Amino acid sequence: MTRSAPDPRPEPRLREVLLALARVALMNALQYREGFLVEFLVGSGNVVAILLPLAVVFGKSSTVAGWTWDQSLLVTGFFLLTSAVMGGLVEPNLGAVVEGIRQGQMDYLLVKPVDAQLASSLMRIAPAKIWDALSAVVVIAWGLHGTGMPGPLALLACGTMLVAGLMAMYSLWLLVICLSFWFVRVDNLRYLLGAVTDAGRWPVDVYRGVARIFLTVAVPVALATSWPAMALLDRLDGALIAQAVAVGGGSMLFSRWAWKRALRSYSSASS
Amino acid sequence: MAEAQTSLGILWRALPTLWRVAVAGIVAYRAEMVIWILSATLPLVMLALWDAAAAGGPLEGFGQVDFARYFAVTMVVRQLTGAWIIWELNYAVRSGSLSPQLLKPVNPLVYNLFETIAAIPWRLFVLVPVCAGFLAWRPEILFVPQMWRVALFMVSVVLAFAVAWLVQALFGALAFWFEQAMGIYSVHFALWSFFSGYIVPMALLPSWVAALARWLPFYASLGVPVDVLLGRAGPWEVGAQIGWVLLLTFGLQAAWTRGVRRYGAVGA
Repeated sequence: MTRSAPDPRPEPRLREVLLALARVALMNALQYREGFLVEFLVGSGNVVAILLPLAVVFGKSSTVAGWTWDQSLLVTGFFLLTSAVMGGLVEPNLGAVVEGIRQGQMDYLLVKPVDAQLASSLMRIAPAKIWDALSAVVVIAWGLHGTGMPGPLALLACGTMLVAGLMAMYSLWLLVICLSFWFVRVDNLRYLLGAVTDAGRWPVDVYRGVARIFLTVAVPVALATSWPAMALLDRLDGALIAQAVAVGGGSMLFSRWAWKRALRSYSSASS
Repeated sequence: MAEAQTSLGILWRALPTLWRVAVAGIVAYRAEMVIWILSATLPLVMLALWDAAAAGGPLEGFGQVDFARYFAVTMVVRQLTGAWIIWELNYAVRSGSLSPQLLKPVNPLVYNLFETIAAIPWRLFVLVPVCAGFLAWRPEILFVPQMWRVALFMVSVVLAFAVAWLVQALFGALAFWFEQAMGIYSVHFALWSFFSGYIVPMALLPSWVAALARWLPFYASLGVPVDVLLGRAGPWEVGAQIGWVLLLTFGLQAAWTRGVRRYGAVGA
């Protein structure tokens, strides 16, 4: 299925599209309120399960791979934040794309006069992930309480790293989803990706050799978890920041290209 | 009583066929299974943390080699005791697809049990390269345990499998009463991962926590066989496993009978 002759109607403006998508996403999500409390329990249990082993480890030794307890809390906080963004904004959407390809609803999306990537990335949210985001804020604040407040430059660097890291993670997800245009049964790869992302919960220096490179380059979760924490601790130099921005921006462009490529080969479930 | 005997007879005659169907199901979805198996990376993630923590010297008698050995065995035991009945049961109850399954002369739980067991050889097959890679990376983790420990380990793995499957089936049966059975299970998983030895070896927990956790079903479903093989648990802990299997079997039977009655009463 390709887009047919030029549409006579004017292209809607980006701002209107974004607002409309956000409204639809919110309305969809608010249909399912009951799960909210259970999700709160699940989220809290998750935070405890991440923090407890860390507490046990730091109970036995005061630094691990050059990181103190407070500094590791920052990484854990950014890990929770990344999980909240990925699980709340990215996964529900891209998961729906896989389903749409298998069952054919993708056709309806493609005939809409908006950019297909934009629409399929912003149509749904999982509001329960707000608990993860809140606990992320608490954990980061807890860590900062121990390490001291960073300066404005460090905050700026931290924000830059976080955005670059999230862009890289989003791109990786989009690439996996692109695969499903050719191989329909790759949605399980999402779980594998989720499992690998779990490794981002510790400071990246905990990993040695190949594993560290893998978590920075192949599955760049360290970019979104360890690097922002390092920025807050003034451990980053300009070169690393430039590198992160390049990786984040570059991966966005590459995944965009892959998405367009994948759309061209989409042949609808019904044909 | 007579009825129970006939249903056991049916089960006995159906065994070979059930087994063939279960194996065929696993073979049909082998690629998905591989991904599921490889997704259980948490022991490796945990190993990285402990490994870095023990770089400066052993913690409570655990050196880097001990941690590597511990999490390698944990990874294998976790695979051998893996169950997924909660997802199937939860889906079957909520979608109503349990109804046709209930018409069959063999209990759907039994069928799932077969399917879970049929997956084990395939899990082992996928684990071989993973373990080989692990050994190539850390050859020093190889060790020769005493024979009686190996024997007790095998018994303990079977019991751990039984506990893990029964607990999941019980949580699955919650779907008869609660919409959010999966969420409750997720909360349980957080507790389980801490008290089972999955992410922290029992020996490193605060002693009063360990004293309690040692006798809970979490530990019975994973940590006991690991510690038996590595010399940190013995016949007493295996005895506790047997106790949990019996208790959980009775519990599941009660929950299942009541649940199915309730399910029928709703009219599905």
